[in-house]
Amino acid sequence: MTIEDGAFVSILGPSGCGKSTLLYIVGGFVNPTEGVAKMKGKAIAGPGPDRGPVFQEFALFPWKSVLGNVMYGPRQQGVKHVEAEAQSRRLIEMVGLKGFENFFPKELSGGMKQRVALARTLAYHPAVLLMDEPFGALDAHTRTRLQNDLLNIWERDRKTVLFVTHSVDEAVFLSDKVVVMTRSPGRIKQVVDIDLPRPRRRAELLLDPRYQKYVVDIERMIDDTSEGELRP
Amino acid sequence: MILLRSLVSRSAPVLACLGLLAIWQVAALILNTDSFPTAIEAIRAIPSILGDKESLINILASLRRMAIGFSLAVIVSIPLGLMMGRSRVVAAFFNPLLMVTYPVPKAALMPIIMLWLGVGDIAKMLVIFLGVSLPVIYHSFQGAKAVEEKMLWSGAAMGLSTAQRMIRIVLPAALPEILTGCRTGLVLALITMVTSEMIARQSGAGNILFNSLDMGQYDTVYAMIIIIGAMGIGVDAAFEKLRSRLVKWSEPGFDIPLSFA
Repeated sequence: MTIEDGAFVSILGPSGCGKSTLLYIVGGFVNPTEGVAKMKGKAIAGPGPDRGPVFQEFALFPWKSVLGNVMYGPRQQGVKHVEAEAQSRRLIEMVGLKGFENFFPKELSGGMKQRVALARTLAYHPAVLLMDEPFGALDAHTRTRLQNDLLNIWERDRKTVLFVTHSVDEAVFLSDKVVVMTRSPGRIKQVVDIDLPRPRRRAELLLDPRYQKYVVDIERMIDDTSEGELRP
Repeated sequence: MILLRSLVSRSAPVLACLGLLAIWQVAALILNTDSFPTAIEAIRAIPSILGDKESLINILASLRRMAIGFSLAVIVSIPLGLMMGRSRVVAAFFNPLLMVTYPVPKAALMPIIMLWLGVGDIAKMLVIFLGVSLPVIYHSFQGAKAVEEKMLWSGAAMGLSTAQRMIRIVLPAALPEILTGCRTGLVLALITMVTSEMIARQSGAGNILFNSLDMGQYDTVYAMIIIIGAMGIGVDAAFEKLRSRLVKWSEPGFDIPLSFA
């Protein structure tokens, strides 16, 4: 499987099929038992700032304020304090958290935490965003809002995104390409190109028969792959 | 109503202490024996102890030993505990040692240590060091073990090396737990300090206490107990103040005071 620069690719599959593991391998956090993952032709040997993860668990630094969290990456990359702060404040505003710069993670809701996590990762300019079920722990309403906001942010600068999810709607709504995986042993069953115009508006899309067909087709594919668990 | 309630909860520790002293006073009056002075008699003996240069030097020497033993233990134990928490090999090596030494009362080692190092400062500081080390190592270990993997991954993606992650992620993330261990360690430092001075009677607060016991000065005995207790409360309260400032980011807001601070 190859992912082009600037593509939004979702990995979809039943839980336990290894879709997160695939993401961790690309991130360099986990070594593959077999095979290689390459980035720009080079085998991935470990984590690096060219690949920025966003986890379902947020994984914020609880001892740092919102601003401190977002500034952490740029500071580590050697960006001057003043510059890193100005840049981080802009990012915090972009993810809709202006005014919360000095709050600590424990004072924020789940949705807000995930906004901080996204800003923190965007702050060190990774070429690829690795999103591991980023909205999985959020309630439906917050989830929709974050999907819209992510799409807006992404449509501005078109980073390559690898997005793991188990929500078919979410995958079709966001992606250029949806990779459907089978239950263990996790293999890629099919890659579906989502040929829907951008910029996408949720309200229009939900009424679009092409969108509905993608959702139904992919749901059917997943049903086929997870039939195994029904057998005794 | 709310004002009254906050007044009551704020003065509660003082009321509890006064209550204890009142019970003591009444009990001593009823029993009326030489070996059990009344609370007032004991309190009256405090100024003469604190006013005496000799005793003051003794008490300060105790505090100095406690401070040095405690500090050295913390400096050694935190890195060790953190490494145990993040490395299976290090944990596999030190964990059995910890489990064996944990239940051994450190003061029971005092005779052996005295044989090696004499009855001076070094022997006493070593016992304090041992007493403080174990809870600090244990809590640092637990704290480091509980650090979320994904937090470390996030750091790794930003370019932090293994050593940097240890100092800049594991240490702050485990700090609340580490400081809980330090607070236990501080109380143990006080306990081992007094016990070591009981065994190696040469100087210190424990020495005054037991000398006056030998000489039958019971009011001094009780006064010393009050002084040592007050030292414990003071040191603990100061530490708790420092602790809650350092880990404010992790505290859920609660109302019940955990110390006199």
